[in-house]
Amino acid sequence: MTAIIGIGITPFGSFVDRTIVSLGVEAGLAALRDAEMPATRVQAGFFANALAARLFGDTTVGQNVVAALGLDGVPVVNVENACTSGSTAFYLAQLAIESGEADVVLAVGAEKMCVPGLGLIDSGSTELDTQLGLVTPASFALRATRHMHEFGTTPRQLALVAAKNRRHAELNVKAMFRKPESVEDILNSPMIADPLTRSQCCPIADGAAAILLASDRVAASLRRTVPVRSAVLRSGAYDGLPDLARWNTDHRTAQLAYEKASIGPADIDVVECHDAFTIAELMHCEALGLCELGAGGALVESGATTLGGRVPVNVSGGLLSRGHPVGATGLAQIHELVVQLRHEAGKRQVEACRAGLAHCMGGDKGGDAKSCTVVILSR
Amino acid sequence: MSNRAVELPIFAEGIVGFGPPPAASPYLVGGHCSSCDRWYFPRVDRCRHCHVTLEPGSLGSRGTVYSYTIVRTKPPLGLPQPYAVAYVDLADRPLRIFMLTDPVKTDDIAIGQAVELAVTPLGVNRHGEPCRRPYFKPVTPPRIR
Repeated sequence: MTAIIGIGITPFGSFVDRTIVSLGVEAGLAALRDAEMPATRVQAGFFANALAARLFGDTTVGQNVVAALGLDGVPVVNVENACTSGSTAFYLAQLAIESGEADVVLAVGAEKMCVPGLGLIDSGSTELDTQLGLVTPASFALRATRHMHEFGTTPRQLALVAAKNRRHAELNVKAMFRKPESVEDILNSPMIADPLTRSQCCPIADGAAAILLASDRVAASLRRTVPVRSAVLRSGAYDGLPDLARWNTDHRTAQLAYEKASIGPADIDVVECHDAFTIAELMHCEALGLCELGAGGALVESGATTLGGRVPVNVSGGLLSRGHPVGATGLAQIHELVVQLRHEAGKRQVEACRAGLAHCMGGDKGGDAKSCTVVILSR
Repeated sequence: MSNRAVELPIFAEGIVGFGPPPAASPYLVGGHCSSCDRWYFPRVDRCRHCHVTLEPGSLGSRGTVYSYTIVRTKPPLGLPQPYAVAYVDLADRPLRIFMLTDPVKTDDIAIGQAVELAVTPLGVNRHGEPCRRPYFKPVTPPRIR
């Protein structure tokens, strides 16, 4: 078994004067200090980043971060898995420990993407869909249209997700968008791709997050550690008839994570999920089993996923309000779960918090995601 | 359509075919596995399941809208602002594909709508050169609003 022994995160925002390496080092150092562990104890590093090669021509940035932390020689892997880069780095770190290859491993994700001329993210210029005009907001808007058609989900229910996550972010000093926004203002913000308005789309951001993992044997002598019950990575399925209203890849991945952790959705006290767009959070809640299929709109409307409700979702502010530095997000979600499970979340503390789930999803291919991760932690 | 426009290349190779003159009606081209009878769009080298080489084949030119959206933000590839896209269930093959829809009448679209393929000069290809693109347009006459 593996445990989380240290966590670190930078503020998320637009930081023109910061480099990817300095952001990664800031988060990594914070995680080492949190664990009261010297850097030289780390035996492997997994570094997550999605865009540095495309934006700056920088590859293998992970070794720069690990070297700057004072570590030489250890195995370092640079992880790119679109939005799940960070959680995939966590998955690999956990595998390294479970396999016995290492007993202290650092997973760091950092992104610098607030640069002029970034444009809209797509799934790559050689993909046919991209050449036919598929941009990421359109991909999710297509799901929203179908979900509204099949289940009667309303624009107001979509906007409620953004309003909720803005309110949550007010309580998170590291989040990017911390001012509340009314449902009316969210619906009246410029339309990006029908029915998704700008406030329903997550902002790009710079930032980094880091998680230090260790074997149970090492963790036993430390304080404030959080056991990892399961960490699952799966890819999508591409047989030519994508279901845009039900996220089957989510559901498969979550089922496996629940089985491995020997718990079910009813046992989860707090969730971080991939709310890149409002419709995404609704669909993920359904696929994770927090409500019936098609009932994601009613779920957010009921207040069940708001702080104080039955199963708060994205109490950190989520991608929508915390911001989405792509390589860091998957680790930032796990960071939030750890803060909650340690009961150190202050004003945004979820009551009686014993088990948390972090869900992330990345990439787009043939109407499905490319990668999906689910991590379950409990104390 | 001017003669010059007819000479513009299709945005990508192996995607669109044209029927016999004079109509030269456009149709979509995909890949077919003669071993398991699966169809692919776009055509890739090999069947994912049998690993035999795929043959090119017609996917037809008609379908039904499964979902759609109108992209209103700054468009890529020289596409118009706004432009509309959809997932379409093909009439002739068991495929649900992503495609542009009528670039002029972007609002005339609905789930369940019957559509047929057309080709027009539209935007630039990934090398920045003006090109033609396929799109689906309604088969039924536009609804009176």
